[in-house]
Amino acid sequence: MQTDDLIAHLSGELQPVGGAEVARTLAAGLALGLFGSALLMAATIGIRPDILQAMGGEAFWLKFLYTLAIAILGLKLVERLGRPGTEAAWPALLIAVPILTLMSMMAVQMMPADSATRHALLMGHSADVCSVLIAALALPLFAGLFWSLRKLAPTRLTQAGAAAGLLAGSAAATIYAFHCTESTATFIAIWYTAGIALTTLMGAVLGRFVLRW
Amino acid sequence: MIPQEAQYRAWMLAALAGDAAAYRMLLQGLTRHLRGYYAKRLGAAAAEDAVQESLIAIHAKRATYDPARPFTAWVYGIARYKLVDEYRRNKRTAAISLDDAGELFGADEAEAASARRDVEKLLARLPVAKRDLVRAVKLDGHSIAEAAARTGMSETSVKVTVHRALKSLGEELGDNHADR
Repeated sequence: MQTDDLIAHLSGELQPVGGAEVARTLAAGLALGLFGSALLMAATIGIRPDILQAMGGEAFWLKFLYTLAIAILGLKLVERLGRPGTEAAWPALLIAVPILTLMSMMAVQMMPADSATRHALLMGHSADVCSVLIAALALPLFAGLFWSLRKLAPTRLTQAGAAAGLLAGSAAATIYAFHCTESTATFIAIWYTAGIALTTLMGAVLGRFVLRW
Repeated sequence: MIPQEAQYRAWMLAALAGDAAAYRMLLQGLTRHLRGYYAKRLGAAAAEDAVQESLIAIHAKRATYDPARPFTAWVYGIARYKLVDEYRRNKRTAAISLDDAGELFGADEAEAASARRDVEKLLARLPVAKRDLVRAVKLDGHSIAEAAARTGMSETSVKVTVHRALKSLGEELGDNHADR
């Protein structure tokens, strides 16, 4: 086909496009992912039985706010990297804020403790499964977010994949907080962060294959 | 800032609102930049496919343009992605600069435009009938057969006419150089 004919064809079938298209696409993928992830958790490991009590304490909200803060920045990153020609520097740098905040809370806990207490703080009672469960709960979110991103136009696929992984992991960790009975800043700083790092890495590796359009 | 930004952005915003005429001008304008950009990097033969791929991508993904951000950077993002795509498909590796949209909207366009002006000046020296033939076959990309059908000439005489016209232009160019 001649390029002029193509232009005539494309402008001939032009439909107006609303400004909220990108937000709608991302919201749909994210909602599907959250729903799938919550369902997966409820059907397998379940919500902690004392959840209502736990929601009265600060440990639950520490986990919840930590992962939610990262998820919000992750969503901003995904939105930016889903569009061509957009830099994503500042939301990526801002992720250091929640992480460093929690790391300093961890330092306050660890510093005065003796070595047995330190070990207990670090390992909790679920250190061996926490990160892996977060990554597993992230799978439905991965599916939803990759679906969204492919409908958009990511042009840096590794970065976009990493951003999707960051959002999938932090959203999955937010859901996982309804199951997890750990309550120390140290445990969350290490194992929640490790789970999110793992999904970010998975997204970065998968991105260049899965996100092509 | 890229000099074309304001005009192209205005066309894009009108196109997003459904203005087909603005959209057409936008695509025609972008085609010139894309052609120069890809011709330099992929060669003239592969360039036209890449241009069309990019136009289709621009069309299909137009909702991802955020009016709060520069339009030229958005187009460059797509052009660059399609270039990487093309390299990947041909298993070619090449360093692709991560620079800004200036690469797409800068020198290429000026070079192409001045080359186009030079060609037009030269063509003006030919008689009208020959000029139209050369333009159809050599510039607009029509085949010999199409040009023959349109003018009612035989394919052979189209070929001969175009060949002679180019030769005479070549000679004139040679004379010009000799004069200087």
